[in-house]
Formats: sequence, structure tokens, C-alpha cells
Amino acid sequence: MKHQVSERDNAVIVALEGEVDLATSPEARKVLLDAVDRKHPVMVDMSGVTYIDSSGVASLVESLQKARRTGVDLALVSVSNSALRVLRLARLDRVFSIYDSVDDGIARSG
Amino acid sequence: MHSDVMSELETSQAPQEAIGRLSDPLELLAEMGRDFAASQNINRALNCGLICIVDYLDAEAGSVFLLDDTGTTLRCDACVGPVDISGITLSVDQGIVGRCVRTNVGEIVRDVAADPSFNRTVDQKTGFTTHSILSAPMSVKEQRIGAIQLLNKRSGDRRFATSDLALLELLSTSAALALLNARMATALVEQERLRRELELAAEIQRSLLPEGQDAGFPVHGINHPARAVSGDFYDFFALPDGRVCFCVGDVSGKGINAALLMSKTAGLYRYLGKAVDSPGRLLGILNGEICETATRGMFITMVCGILDPPNNRVILANAGHEPPLRHRPDGSFELWPADAPPLGIAPDLVPGGIYPETELRLDGGTLYVFTDGLTEARVPSLGDLTIQGVRDLISANQALPAPERLAAIVGFVERDSIELHDDLTILAIDVTGNSMQPEYQALEEVHGGTQMVGIRFEAKPEELKQVRAVVRDAAAGLGFDEETIQDCVLAVDEACQNIIRHAYVGGGGEIDLKIRRDGNSAVFLLRDFADTIDRQSIKPRDLDDLRPGGLGTHFMREMMDEVVYLSPPEGRGNLLKMVKIIK
Repeated sequence: MKHQVSERDNAVIVALEGEVDLATSPEARKVLLDAVDRKHPVMVDMSGVTYIDSSGVASLVESLQKARRTGVDLALVSVSNSALRVLRLARLDRVFSIYDSVDDGIARSG
Repeated sequence: MHSDVMSELETSQAPQEAIGRLSDPLELLAEMGRDFAASQNINRALNCGLICIVDYLDAEAGSVFLLDDTGTTLRCDACVGPVDISGITLSVDQGIVGRCVRTNVGEIVRDVAADPSFNRTVDQKTGFTTHSILSAPMSVKEQRIGAIQLLNKRSGDRRFATSDLALLELLSTSAALALLNARMATALVEQERLRRELELAAEIQRSLLPEGQDAGFPVHGINHPARAVSGDFYDFFALPDGRVCFCVGDVSGKGINAALLMSKTAGLYRYLGKAVDSPGRLLGILNGEICETATRGMFITMVCGILDPPNNRVILANAGHEPPLRHRPDGSFELWPADAPPLGIAPDLVPGGIYPETELRLDGGTLYVFTDGLTEARVPSLGDLTIQGVRDLISANQALPAPERLAAIVGFVERDSIELHDDLTILAIDVTGNSMQPEYQALEEVHGGTQMVGIRFEAKPEELKQVRAVVRDAAAGLGFDEETIQDCVLAVDEACQNIIRHAYVGGGGEIDLKIRRDGNSAVFLLRDFADTIDRQSIKPRDLDDLRPGGLGTHFMREMMDEVVYLSPPEGRGNLLKMVKIIK
């Protein structure tokens, strides 16, 4: 898994790429929690995620929990079908704000 | 002229005489035949027959000369008379008896002094005086066996008559026939004796091979000799620390000499293999031992290896042997060629006397070590089976447990090859092959089906990427659609995570994954060797509780048609079975 953090229109964009699994989710978790710490809206760009398992989902959930506690918005954008299936299976698709693209996310959350 | 007249007279009298005696020679013949048939000792039977003949024809002495195997020397094998000449030999070019054998014609020599062929040396040595000789060849069809010779007629005018010759020829022919029969019978007995000895040798040789192991043992082998005895061998045994030593050897050549060298090498391996735990060093020592004694140009190709079951590592050393073949869980093959010469050629061919070692991890695959009797087995329509044929056979029988798989491979070659022209040996080293845990094996047998995947890997997060690839391939192979493939991959991944996080609790360990197709079910079996965990603690998480983690079991139950923890195998560990119906 690789990640990339950038800023745009006051939002922190965290792009995850590759497989988010037991081996790589600690890295994803750290990156996401750090992003939440910046007190800006966080967009998690999932367009490059080819696989996500429960540990990856757990990292997302933990970040969302922290964001909620600290009053930060956290949204998922460009979620692939396979990742969306996993989120649906966990019934988390309605817990997360999910947008089609970063632009879409910024426009709607702005 | 006088003798000619006498001769004619005798000839004319012969029929009359013969009529009176006819019953006697027939009785004589019958008796000789019985003697030959009943006697275990041909020479004694010959002697009895000769006594009868000498007595019947009223000669002073008689002898039977038999040709030796080379057909060049005559030896007196039976003798009746005042002096014993039995055992003397003469060239087939010599004497009147030699002439008789050479020409295959009987004759009467009424005055030996007048016959230049007469060999006086025997008379000179024995003090016997030969006056006349009656000789008849012993032959059956064109096969010359020897001749019967009678010396000095005692009665009448002390001369042999033409009727005597006719009778002797009759007797010698039947004696020859009886002798030939007796010889053939002896040869048969000898053949039978050799056959039984070979059988015994083969039995001893089989006892040198390790006993068949239950399916749980990681090494299985088959040896199939082309003849009664084999120049091939294999062996394996467990060391006290749990590692397993194995070897396959092939002595150049076939038959008894190869078998004897095989037995020696197998004995050395058994003895040294338990003390020397480096296959390369072991081959070096074996080479030294074998080179020390003359082996008539024979040599041995051999693979030695040590398997360390907990980490699936195999250390191999190869002395000029057919490359071992590794069958990976993904179905691909890899050869491990030899890089050192065979044993028994010279003691100093390998630097430092240590054969090079290679190390490989089985990682769920099977390692096959075999002799060229397998790759060179001639199969109609294929010619030699070749390494490709071996691969095809292995792939075709992949689903079988190792012992049955090997039997199927050898069975194919036996059944389909025109002739087995070399000894054939094959060994399978199969760590995951339902092997280490017989209880697990039994459990699987209950489920039946065809095994698609059998891998064992370390319970580490880094391993899961590859495990997913294996599961993906297997699920695709089972004909699932892309979504279902993803489901299978995720479910197995989650099960592995549970083991890594909850069973091993972060500590080291291994996971055994098997995927079987059983009818319209894909069965995923995951086994760990951690402490058995409390099933009650494993339950799908409450989805309303937004707590991180604990999702895995929920995913597994959502993705699979059946998720069940089976009674753990004896000892420790956990066994999870997941089923996905193939629609």
C-alpha cells in the first residue's frame, strides 16, 4: 500500500493506493489519524484501493470516531465497487459520508 | 578276405540272434531309462547303464566319454572293467572315441594296432591291453553328447560283431536321450534354485527399504524393480529432533551386481545418515566409502535431503542424479538439477569432499525425487515418458494422498509401458499433504472431494497477500464469478487474521490452508497450532456498536454459506471449516 497526503481548498486529502490489509492497515491508520489531527476536513481518496479487509475498515472506523470526537469532518471519496461492497457488508456505507470524487466531496461538505 | 567273410556271416546271423535276444535289449533299455529318470546323480545312472551294456555285450571293459561344455574335450564319466580310467580327458581330436564323436558314426575296430588313431597312452598308463574296440556316438539329433566305448569282446572269437554295433548304437542313443533329459531336469532344478535364491535376495532387498508410513508421514516412496532385484533404492527416517532424512539412489546397471552395490550403499546411508546431518557431507563420505572398494566401473547417482517439517525447509544435495522436481501449490513445476558427479567414480572430484547443498522451502508444494527408470519408461504413443510425462502424471493425480498418488503414477507406467527396462523409484516429500496431523487427515477424508490447494505459511500479516493470490486463483479455478471470488478471498483473509490476532496473539506460528472441491461445494479448511480458543468468545460483532475490529467473523459469515469450527485435532490448535456453494 502507498499513500499520499495533500491539501486542497482547506481540506486534507489522503489518497490510499493498493491493498489495505492486516500488513498495511497500521500505516493507513496512522496516516488517517494524523490527518484528522490537522483539524481540517479529511477526504479519503479510495480510488486506488484494490483491496480492503476488516483491518482496513477498522482503520477507517477508528479515524471516523476520532474525527467525530474532535469535530472534524471525514468523508470517503471515489470508493471502488469492491471496497463499497465490503463497507456495505459491514453496514458502514451509511455511517460514512461517501462522495463520488474529491471535487464532489469539497462542494458538498463545503 | 577272411575277416570279410566272417563279417558277412555274422551279419547274416544277426537277425536270428536278435530275435532271441530282442526282449533282453528292450528290458535293458527300459531299465536304463528308469535309472536315468529316478537318479539324482547322472554319473551313477550312467555307470549302472554301462555295467548292463558291458555285461550284455560281453566286453572286457567299457567307458562313457562325454563332451564338455566347450565341445573340445572328452572326459571319461563312467567306466567298467579291470582298470578305472574315469576322470581322464582327451581332446576330441584324439583317439578312436574322438573320431566316433566327431563323425557321429559308430564303428568296430577289430585290431587297434592297425588303426593310426588309436591312442596308446591310456594302455601304457593303465597296463591294460586293448585289442578291439566297439564305439557308438551318443547324440540327440545334431547335438553331440559323447560316446560309449566297449573294449575286447570276451566270448566267441573275441571280436565284436556288426549286431553288437547295432545294439550298442541303439543303447547309446537312448542313453544320450536319457542323459539329455536328466541334464535338462538338473538345469531346471538349478534354475528353480536360482529363482528361489533371487526371490530371497529380492525379499531381503525389499526389507532394506523403509516400511510404508501412514499418510501422516511427510515422505513416501515406491520402488519397482525391472527384474527380481533392484539397483535403485530409497530410504527415509526421522531424526530424534523431528527432522526427516531421505534419499534416492540409482546404481548404474541392473541385475545382481547392481543390487549388491545398492545394498551396500543403502546400508551405509542408513548408518551414516543418522550421524551426519548435512546431506552434502554425507554424500562426500559415501563417495569415499564406495570409491575405497572396487566397483567394476559401476557408480551411483544419489540425492540426499533433510526436511525440517516446522518450517518446510529442505536441504538437498545431488550426486549426478536426475533432478528432483518440485510441484508448487499453484501447479507449476521446478527442477533442481545436479551440480556434482555421481558417487563411486573418484574420491576427490568434489572440493573438500562436500557435495554442494541447496535449500528450498516446500511452502505447500511437494518435492519428487525419482530415478531415470521413471522418465525413461517407454510408453506407447509417447516414447519415453520424459519429465513432461512425469509432470502430467503428477498433476493428474494431485488430488490423491501421497501414497495413492505414487501408486497411481507407477501403476500408469507399469500398465502402459511396453516394458519396464529399468528399475523405477519415486519418492514424494509432501509436508502439507494431509500429512503432519493424521487426525486432520481423517477429518478431511470425511469431507472428501478434490484438494485444490494445500499450503502452510507463517501466521504473519506479510504472508496474507500471497495467500489471497492463492485463494483467488483457486476460487477462479472453481468457476466462481468475480464477486464470489472476492468473497472467498476476504473470508479466508479474515479467518487468517483471526488466527494471527486471536489464536497466536501476535506470537509466531503457522497456518495450514486447504481448499477442496466437494461436489458443488468449495470447502476452505484453516488450521492453526495455537492453544485452542474458546468458541463462545467468537461471535459476529454487534453492528450497531461502532467499535473498530471484530468485523472479521461477521465478514466470514456473510461471505460464506457455512462457517463452522470443528473439534480441534488432538493436541492443540483450531480447525475452521468454511463452505461456499458453487452455483
